[in-house]
Amino acid sequence: MTDFSASVYQNEYLADGSTDVHAIVTVTCAGAGRAGQGESDAGEIVIVDVSASMGLEGVRAAQDAAAAALDQVIDGTWFALIAGNHVARLAYPFDGGPMGMARMTPQTRAQARSAIGYLAPDGGTAMGTWLELAAGVAQSVPSVTQAHAILLTDGKNQHESPAELDVRMQRAVGHVQVDCRGVGAAWEVGELRRIASTLLGTVDLIPRPDQMAAEFAALMAKAMSRGVAAADLRVWAPQGAQVLFVRQVAPAVEDLTPRRREVNPLTAAFPTGSWGDESRDYHVAVRLPLAKGVGQEQLAARVQLAIGEQVVAQGLVKALWSDDDSLTARINPEVAHYTGQTELAEAIQDGLAARAAGDDRTATAKLGRAAQLAAETGNAEATAKLRKVVDIDEAATGKVRLRAGVDKLDEMALDTASTKTTRVRK
Amino acid sequence: MTGEAGRSCPACGQPAAPSDRFCEECGADLPAPVTDGGPDVPAPADVDASAPTSPAARRGVRAAGPPAAAVCTECGGEIADGWCTTCGAKAPRARDHMVDRPVAWVAAVSDRGVRHHRNEDAMALIADQPPGSRAALVVCDGVSTSADSDVASLAAARAAVAVIAAGSVGLAGPGALAGLLGARVDAAALAAAEAVAATGDPTGASPPSCTFVAAAVERDLVVVGVVGDSRAYWIPDAGEATVLTVDDSVAAQEMAAGRPRAEAESGPQAHAITRWLGVDSPDQVPRLTTLQVTQPGWLLLCSDGLWNYCSEASAMASTLRAAIDRPAIDRPAIDRPAVDGAGDHPDRDDPLAAAAALVSWATAQGGHDNITVVLARLGTTATGTGRGNGELE
Repeated sequence: MTDFSASVYQNEYLADGSTDVHAIVTVTCAGAGRAGQGESDAGEIVIVDVSASMGLEGVRAAQDAAAAALDQVIDGTWFALIAGNHVARLAYPFDGGPMGMARMTPQTRAQARSAIGYLAPDGGTAMGTWLELAAGVAQSVPSVTQAHAILLTDGKNQHESPAELDVRMQRAVGHVQVDCRGVGAAWEVGELRRIASTLLGTVDLIPRPDQMAAEFAALMAKAMSRGVAAADLRVWAPQGAQVLFVRQVAPAVEDLTPRRREVNPLTAAFPTGSWGDESRDYHVAVRLPLAKGVGQEQLAARVQLAIGEQVVAQGLVKALWSDDDSLTARINPEVAHYTGQTELAEAIQDGLAARAAGDDRTATAKLGRAAQLAAETGNAEATAKLRKVVDIDEAATGKVRLRAGVDKLDEMALDTASTKTTRVRK
Repeated sequence: MTGEAGRSCPACGQPAAPSDRFCEECGADLPAPVTDGGPDVPAPADVDASAPTSPAARRGVRAAGPPAAAVCTECGGEIADGWCTTCGAKAPRARDHMVDRPVAWVAAVSDRGVRHHRNEDAMALIADQPPGSRAALVVCDGVSTSADSDVASLAAARAAVAVIAAGSVGLAGPGALAGLLGARVDAAALAAAEAVAATGDPTGASPPSCTFVAAAVERDLVVVGVVGDSRAYWIPDAGEATVLTVDDSVAAQEMAAGRPRAEAESGPQAHAITRWLGVDSPDQVPRLTTLQVTQPGWLLLCSDGLWNYCSEASAMASTLRAAIDRPAIDRPAIDRPAVDGAGDHPDRDDPLAAAAALVSWATAQGGHDNITVVLARLGTTATGTGRGNGELE
């Protein structure tokens, strides 16, 4: 039995005249079971970049990775294999007919393996077409309500304009969730992050081709453990209030605000994709229409998790005006921690962008701030990755020097990991 | 002592312990649990049948009833789990705003005020139907530095009022009557103190405690007892008003030593009380005052949430007169429950309208504390005991 719970971390005390309320809401799912266990089915799609740049060695590693991923797909699950270059091609099932996917059986597993063997490098890169096909394939099987894809690439999206990518990507929204993985150092973190963010997935770097198989197997195993096909985070705020932002802050920073969909005039829904047994933290900020008198209390937000129309967990965010400075001045530790982690992600991304643009002054300032924040919030992983890009003279003050001859992969590793957050040390 | 499982409040749905007599969340009366006959849970029927209060009058110990239901008092929106679904305002709990009017001539309003998060004041009233006849009136103000003071004060007020109302005065002569009522107020304070002690963990760091002011009204004889700084005033329609009580407070001690009231009551320790009901109190014997009523007027009991803004008897009198001239118009639905015979009385004699107006007035002054006002209209009956001349004894 799947069980959701929500807990709220906030300092509900507001100083006289204040209207902004911040809270961290932790949503935890337990007993999710496995993907496709309910009345509807799960679908798994593997998208492999077969552009010429992959080369024979790259394609061979990608073949191993695709095979490893399909090994994790449970019998009975719908699946497909897409080969992508400047166009997208359905590599398996061979003859899908009206169905673009096949059910996993020992027989189809063997057929898919042989299909993987036929992949060969050729052509350019247009990821929007891959995503569009993946969404079409997912929709071709009506019983599939939880479609997930792994997208593997080694390069930039060169044979499609950013606008075309956007249009095609938007067609996939709501139909398939996509985890993106880049191999090597020739792909663009920002580009894959945009796809992953739009399609509710993750982005990461696979430094060497021989690491792909393990990464794909892990990704697929994780996807198969998500027994809840889709859930929305719902935020109710009082009439006249403004929801400043809704942001996932753990396990990774993800701004949900642009995903806003209206449920009713006071309630908005933000899709969160599928859920396994896990915990996610959300930072919700609300500006109330007016500050009430000292001693007055009001509800600032209801933060709910909804599956379809059914609310399965709820946390209440409150506001309580006080003239006691010792109560109102205190910043909630969770809110402070995640505010720092979010700023850390921005500082790293801005710093790396400035460095790429040759603006060393901005890069030094931003990465210095990042080193400071990583130390303050105890994010050891970020500190370790920062050290490969800058020399940290004094973390406490953010004094750093840009390193010369930085490995591109180290920069990309820092960039992709920038949104990963550590939880509050309790 | 009872096998009843899953007992809950009929008004707000909060779970209740088998021994609870009223809801700790909203203060509503709980139905008597089915007991095995143990003597430790007196059911309402145990009250002496010869008590000078009719069964109907005993309704006086009810709370305000179910929480102001499904509609927000601020914007009219729907309420869900205690909050308005439109504007987010907190729905008032019944415990935060209690209204009682057991008979037409006696009424009380108790309100959270503005600054405090909950109402730790409580009152309890029992009265006979004939105007100005018999009444038991109690106000208790929970000490907010101790835990569960809202529970303690309500338990104390209800225990005390039952003691005062119980038993008959029989044919006691005028002198004996005052002594008898005084003894009953003493016993009521004791019962209230026991109720306070029973509500919390007495070994805890801050055991529950509350103040106590009670009045036993027997036609034109009134005996008032006080522990702490809740007060009673006599405000005749004509003539000078009087404070019937002396606070057990630092301010009162300073005043006794010659410091002017206004100065003493605005000092830093002004609100520190020197006696209270609770296991850690030095002494819980009420200080008694007897009043002989000779003309129509108001007996007013209140917590410091009201008198903070009009401490002098003359100030209280003029505040009350202004309140009568200009009754509260807010929250009419809550403040004016239907009462049999209420319509027979002219507005100026309506204790509920006046009490509600006083509470609204104190709220408008800032509502820094919980506000509780009990009003009884006295001296309106022609058949007094015929003694005395309005002197305080």
